[in-house]
Amino acid sequence: MTGPASTETAELAERWFASRAWQPFPFQQQVWAAVRHGESGLLHATTGSGKTYAVWLGALNRFAHALPASADRPAPLTLLWITPMRALAADTARALQLPLDELGLHWSIGLRTGDTGSAERARQSRRLPSALITTPESLTLLLTRADARQAFAGLRMLVVDEWHELLGNKRGVQLQLALARLRRWNPGLIVWGLSATLGNQPHALEVLLHPGSGRLVEGQVSKPLLLDTLLPEAIERFPWAGHLGLRMLPPVIAEIDAASTTLVFTNTRSQSERWYQALLDARPDWAGLIALHHGSLAREVRDWVEQGLKHGALKAVVCTSSLDLGVDFLPVERVLQIGSPKGVARLLQRAGRSGHAPGRTSRVTLVPTHSLEVLEAAAAQRAVAERRIEVRCAPQRPLDVLVQHLVSMALGGGFRPDELLAEVRTAWSYRDLPDGHWQWALAFVRHGGHSLTAYPDYQRVEPDATGLWKVPSRRLALRHRMSIGTIVSDASLTVKFWARGGAGRSLGSVEEGFIARLRPGDNFLFAGRLLELVRVENMTAYVNRASGRKAAVPRWNGGRMPLSSELADALVEQFGAAARGEFVSREMRLLQPLLQVQQDWSALPSESSLLAEVLKSREGWHLFLYPFGGRHVHLGLASLLAWRIAQRQPVTFSIAVNDYGLELLSATEVDWLQALAPALSSRDDLLHDVLASLNAGELARRRFREIARIAGLVFSGYPGAQKSARQVQASSALFFDVFRQYDPDNLLLDQAQEEVLRQELDIGRLERTLARMQRQRLDLHRIRRPTPLAFPLLVERFRESLSSEKLADRIRRMVAELDNAAGPGGYQAAPQNAIAVEREPERPRKPRQRKTGTPRKAKKQIDADPSGGHRP
Amino acid sequence: MSDYLPIELAGSELWLLADKAIYWPEQRALLIADIHFGKAAAYRRLGQPVPHGTTENNLRRLDALLARYACRQLIFLGDFLHAPESQVPATLARLAEWRARQAQLAVTLIRGNHDRRAGDPPAALAITVIDEPLLQGPFALQHEPAPHPTHHVIAGHLHPAFRLQGRGRQSLRLPCFCIGERLSLLPAFGSFTGAMDIATEDRWRIYLVGDGNVWPLARG
Repeated sequence: MTGPASTETAELAERWFASRAWQPFPFQQQVWAAVRHGESGLLHATTGSGKTYAVWLGALNRFAHALPASADRPAPLTLLWITPMRALAADTARALQLPLDELGLHWSIGLRTGDTGSAERARQSRRLPSALITTPESLTLLLTRADARQAFAGLRMLVVDEWHELLGNKRGVQLQLALARLRRWNPGLIVWGLSATLGNQPHALEVLLHPGSGRLVEGQVSKPLLLDTLLPEAIERFPWAGHLGLRMLPPVIAEIDAASTTLVFTNTRSQSERWYQALLDARPDWAGLIALHHGSLAREVRDWVEQGLKHGALKAVVCTSSLDLGVDFLPVERVLQIGSPKGVARLLQRAGRSGHAPGRTSRVTLVPTHSLEVLEAAAAQRAVAERRIEVRCAPQRPLDVLVQHLVSMALGGGFRPDELLAEVRTAWSYRDLPDGHWQWALAFVRHGGHSLTAYPDYQRVEPDATGLWKVPSRRLALRHRMSIGTIVSDASLTVKFWARGGAGRSLGSVEEGFIARLRPGDNFLFAGRLLELVRVENMTAYVNRASGRKAAVPRWNGGRMPLSSELADALVEQFGAAARGEFVSREMRLLQPLLQVQQDWSALPSESSLLAEVLKSREGWHLFLYPFGGRHVHLGLASLLAWRIAQRQPVTFSIAVNDYGLELLSATEVDWLQALAPALSSRDDLLHDVLASLNAGELARRRFREIARIAGLVFSGYPGAQKSARQVQASSALFFDVFRQYDPDNLLLDQAQEEVLRQELDIGRLERTLARMQRQRLDLHRIRRPTPLAFPLLVERFRESLSSEKLADRIRRMVAELDNAAGPGGYQAAPQNAIAVEREPERPRKPRQRKTGTPRKAKKQIDADPSGGHRP
Repeated sequence: MSDYLPIELAGSELWLLADKAIYWPEQRALLIADIHFGKAAAYRRLGQPVPHGTTENNLRRLDALLARYACRQLIFLGDFLHAPESQVPATLARLAEWRARQAQLAVTLIRGNHDRRAGDPPAALAITVIDEPLLQGPFALQHEPAPHPTHHVIAGHLHPAFRLQGRGRQSLRLPCFCIGERLSLLPAFGSFTGAMDIATEDRWRIYLVGDGNVWPLARG
């Protein structure tokens, strides 16, 4: 069985490999054979192992000679290559072009991403290239063209690169929906996913190919991996909390010095800015040799860094997950991970960025930022050795993505509801979509939801006389095209150099909330430079170079990633070993004195015991509990416990969580010895209690922000939009309140709740954690001062709250406290003698009153607030 | 505690109302700032679905105040209509019904920044529309909180709110009145409006509103 490819041409791939004196790997031959037979599938292999040529040459084998093509009229659109990052598109294009040139095939390669210029777009609207490289968002945009069906008529194969990056999120769902449409047009479409290491490959395969099936191909190429830890000299001087880890600067410099090229991975963008600056301060001679790379920097800046990496011109690059994916930078010899690796798969991915040159091993070195991360490093080594790799699961029927898709399809030539419903249900995430939800989504795009049926002034999509649903308004059509996508970010400002008679070079973007807290003349650190804010105008922050020392560092509101279950379990095992007096590894021996302090003041947690600590301070009554479930689960657990206790007495809790545990703090007395055990072991319906605690807190409101944006409730604006467009921008928190008060049955509210349960609180993991906690022995200790485990929670600034007190009582108490305050009586985390803590210097914040031209009041703060945001 | 709190300002007695308005007994006047009628309708017109009910809610609260406090005049301190798109038949019809119910009341609107874009309310509503300031007794009634050379300014525009911080790291954000030496602010009345934290270093006397009460804040 050879399909359209005849035997004589089936060897294109083999011929090209032979011409380069390459020997194909077995997995490449397997993919070629599968594609030859028209099969779809998922290829799982590490980066840089030849995944691209497995699928690309498979496609050329099958299609290159089956299609008419000439030099001036290349083959019609045959293959779509989906990439999660537009930064990868250009490199992919180069890789795909190479065999075309050498085999003399008349195929054209084109890019279509958010960066594609208007000339290229116009050319593509006349004729699409033979192979088009694009992102999920741009693919959906292409499908909104009225002639989409015709344009994609010749499509035969679709490849999803880095499928593991899309699988677990809404971008992946968006792609599923686009795939459903392409499959309806061409039932024979061949689909291949390329994926790095995942704990659940069969699920990744099923979601991609649903409702069909295909072949799972394992790339057997495993590279040797070396994982080690950069340890501080003495643990006594090492901080108990903090996330910067700058105390490790000297050994990090020594490591960078010793290697040709090093990637320094950090967990946040602000952390990368600080490390870059610290490295430059310590080694001024490295100016020009080290660089910074993160997602908020301007494209040109990132391109320059990536080119420098490729050519080996850079000694080190401080980066974030922005360099997790992508082409291989051959010169990279070492990878350093500052702070917790958070997950095994992520650590392996980052490790894989090094050691691509032949004969080299991949090497990743963990750099702890505080004491307990030393233990985490030991745990990571064990989890990696035992290959305990995390799973990723596709979201279940997110309605916001569906609503957006309905409008997109109404633009793309219109839709008939019955046909579209059948199509949508072929996407894995919507396979069980209830009729009620479908009817609701239709009503929502037509009238804005059931409650709005009386309003003739609102309509996005309308059926015409023949029953075809379309978007009648050109203005709304344009607006929808601008907001396609599921990545939600805060309103951000472009940062540009100030120049007379126009703007200077663009440096990147920062969140509006950060700039709003600065006044002209204030300094801040961005793009590795010390900058002075000149003025803010038309969503642009103009800056000059600055000198001096004092500078703010922007914080970006990216979600903080929780420690994975796999890593958390490995960590508890390390504590358990310490409790049994086993100090085997280098890390454990170093940490022994600190673990001894924890043991002496309280106890060590273990696999079989659940450690709890209670403390009375002048701030109030604290409970510290250490389930080791990751920060999301702890947030859910903390809300649950707070709610259950608050049912028995009126009380207000302030909640702090980290990856190891949680803290509940009350200003009024709580008898934790009495209250904790019943709250933990309650047989009451868990889901009911979690939902109730959710309604008492603020989480659902925050989650609504993303949903509101994707469903088109909140419009983030045309680029360069003028002030008048701002008149229709309200914060999603305000929307949330209005919906909850006036349209409580709106399904988007249900979705907000469901997503909080599933994503923010990870209800499945929460249930498992709670079940485990109920099996464990509760080991409750009264402590006299915060222990090494408690301290990081005590100084955590970001807090949730939950209250069962009457509002009037809370106001009365707080107003009275304010009256009684003789001096600055607020909480002070005065570190005790034995405790070192690394802190960012607190800057005085001055909210401002003036509004014209000058920065506004922090939007971020208002957005997160119960009473909603407002722009007067 | 009660739902209003009398204070003395520039030699006159004013009642700060828990429902975010000021009653001036001497003039039998009710002062309302930033009601933003038709904001939800404007959103809907521009393609963003917002449930309805906010206009009804605003009018219901307004009627309740007018029933409880004997009023001869009602003065809007700006931002009566939210946007040009707010002038939709449904919203205007509701306003007309309301005006018919309150026919004997003298209603004045001091134009705010939103009113300048949205346009004046229809003449049928019988609202006297003027530019700021409206000088009445010792006060200059305005929308924007700009100082006045001779009169104590009462203004809106900023939608002030205050964040209470308490022991046990608790915090609570509530709309508030800000009373100053020469300038005082009302909270926003509208039910579909947000609020803005006021600067803590400013020397206001703060009166919070929450849970049906007005709470004076004693601060340095």
